[in-house]
Amino acid sequence: MARRAALVFLGLAAPAVLVSLVIPGPAAGVLFAVLAMAFPVALIVLAVARDGRLGGLGPPLALLLVVLEGGVAAMLLLRGRVADGPWIGGLPAAAAVMIYGLWLAPLVVVALAHALAFDRSGLRSEDLDELERRFRDPGESA
Amino acid sequence: MLELASPAVIWSAVLYLAAVVGIGFWAARRTRSAKDFFIAGQGIGLLVTALAATSAAFSGFVFIGGPGLAYRIGLASMFICIPVGFTSGLLCWVVAKRLRLLAGVREVYTIPDVIRCRYGSRLAAGLAAVAVIVGTIGYLGAQLQALGILIEAVFGTKALLGAWSLPAAMALGTLVILVYATAGGMVAGVYTDVVQGTLMMGAAVAVFFHALEAGGGLERMARTIAGSEAFGPEHLDPLGATPVVTALGLFFVFAVGTLGQPHMLHKFFMLDDPRKLKWMPLAIGASQSLCLLIWLGVGLAVPALVAGGRLAPLAHPDQAAPQFLLGFAPPLLAGLVIAGILAAIMSTADSFVNIGAAAIVRDLPRALGMRVADELRWGRVAGVALTAAAAVFAFHYGDLIALLGTFAFGTFAAALAPAIAVGLNWRRVTAVAASASIATGMAVNLLVEFLGRQTSFAALPKPPFVPGVVPAAAAMAASFTVLFAVTWVSRCRASVAIDPAVEAVMEL
Repeated sequence: MARRAALVFLGLAAPAVLVSLVIPGPAAGVLFAVLAMAFPVALIVLAVARDGRLGGLGPPLALLLVVLEGGVAAMLLLRGRVADGPWIGGLPAAAAVMIYGLWLAPLVVVALAHALAFDRSGLRSEDLDELERRFRDPGESA
Repeated sequence: MLELASPAVIWSAVLYLAAVVGIGFWAARRTRSAKDFFIAGQGIGLLVTALAATSAAFSGFVFIGGPGLAYRIGLASMFICIPVGFTSGLLCWVVAKRLRLLAGVREVYTIPDVIRCRYGSRLAAGLAAVAVIVGTIGYLGAQLQALGILIEAVFGTKALLGAWSLPAAMALGTLVILVYATAGGMVAGVYTDVVQGTLMMGAAVAVFFHALEAGGGLERMARTIAGSEAFGPEHLDPLGATPVVTALGLFFVFAVGTLGQPHMLHKFFMLDDPRKLKWMPLAIGASQSLCLLIWLGVGLAVPALVAGGRLAPLAHPDQAAPQFLLGFAPPLLAGLVIAGILAAIMSTADSFVNIGAAAIVRDLPRALGMRVADELRWGRVAGVALTAAAAVFAFHYGDLIALLGTFAFGTFAAALAPAIAVGLNWRRVTAVAASASIATGMAVNLLVEFLGRQTSFAALPKPPFVPGVVPAAAAMAASFTVLFAVTWVSRCRASVAIDPAVEAVMEL
């Protein structure tokens, strides 16, 4: 299910991105923003889904999607409010969302999620041994 | 005009350049086979791979071009940087594991090798090789241009040589890169990458904190910029003055496009044990984030210093980093950072000399059904020719380093990312779809870039996109579209026969 959804999304999002770059107007810009943020997450889902499931990676990938989409929505809402808007951590709010929210927060979420799920759904030693047993070039080990 | 730097800066640069040439000669004696030359004998560990990937990915584009672009368009330029928060995970989940496993069961040294193994198509592999050569010329050109600007600034050659200063400085930098990259191949590249990566991180962190100090702290710099006439509040608004399609187009290209960057993907072939990928996103993400502090720090400090009247407005945005270092950093720090920037430029350049050479002497001939007898020797010759071509191209491109780098990054992204990222994870992608996607990505990127820039032919149309579109974003979207469309159309006609080893790798 997750894998199929990712494929359908990617197959439809790619031409939609192209269309959003041709049509003028703010709605096309927002469409492009939404698709550009979701595209990398869909690629990860396509790569990690096994038997239609994401296993333990579902929650961190959902969080990554929320952070990316929420971050760009916040930046759009805060547009033009540097002078009169709030400042966070020494920066105008939109810039703070960009630096602390879109850069640093995903770094922690993604690095931990990858490491913690690796032995279970990334690469199991027994699978690696089986692959090497079946296909390793005999000349290399000689 | 920039003046001759202090002796400490000059000696740092000279010592650094001498050291990397020395490593090149030392590594040349350890380079005995094509496998050593192209993938360092497939025997390097987690930290070395992470440092090599970081130092190959980050270059003059980041250390000189980044602050330059930030000076011109403000914080919107950071959309190039912020994807590093998750691209290391994206790389490891989507492609790194499969690339490394594939290199363990098949003779895979290059990205066109991967395409050939996955699709069993010489056409697709040949097109990938052409994309690698085109992108390499752009990327190498950006490094040589950055190197020229830095050498010019450090040694004050402008006062001495006038209009010949930049070509002479680029020629000197080209010579040093050629000596160590073509002599030592990837063994030299990897060993210097470790030194260079460490130096880059140290330099970036040091200069970030010094920039904060010079500008009076983050908030004071930001308020000075926001209150100035020269820059104004839009400079700090990520989606303010810059169109959404430009700002987020950069994000799209530098996030998804990472999956098609041969100089980064190539490093995963070299990892000695694929299980070490477990902590790779943390290692790469952290080291990349530390390096990018220079973009943020200098990118804010220089506009703040200009706005505050402490620095004259820059004649060219790419002078932001050299001007800051030579004018505001203590000589020892400036020396360290100049060496760090040289490291960044040269580590990327040496990766591209080797990747481009492999495309010329290995991938293209194989796509044509031929084999070069002595790949090691001809690889070195090809490296020299490619570097010379890149220097000429960069000199005539005549724009910001960051824009030249974006063009090159975009060429790889649009041509290679769909066929690799989707193709290694979905067995229904056909060889004809991969070939069509690679050709589309490359052609659209070149065409949109050309039509957008050219002024010689008035009859030619402008690209059909809204103003501000990043050519690579449109090209990458077109390339993904073609991959899915042609796969769908050709799914019944083409038998998708995949090498059993490749299929086993894709299932893991």
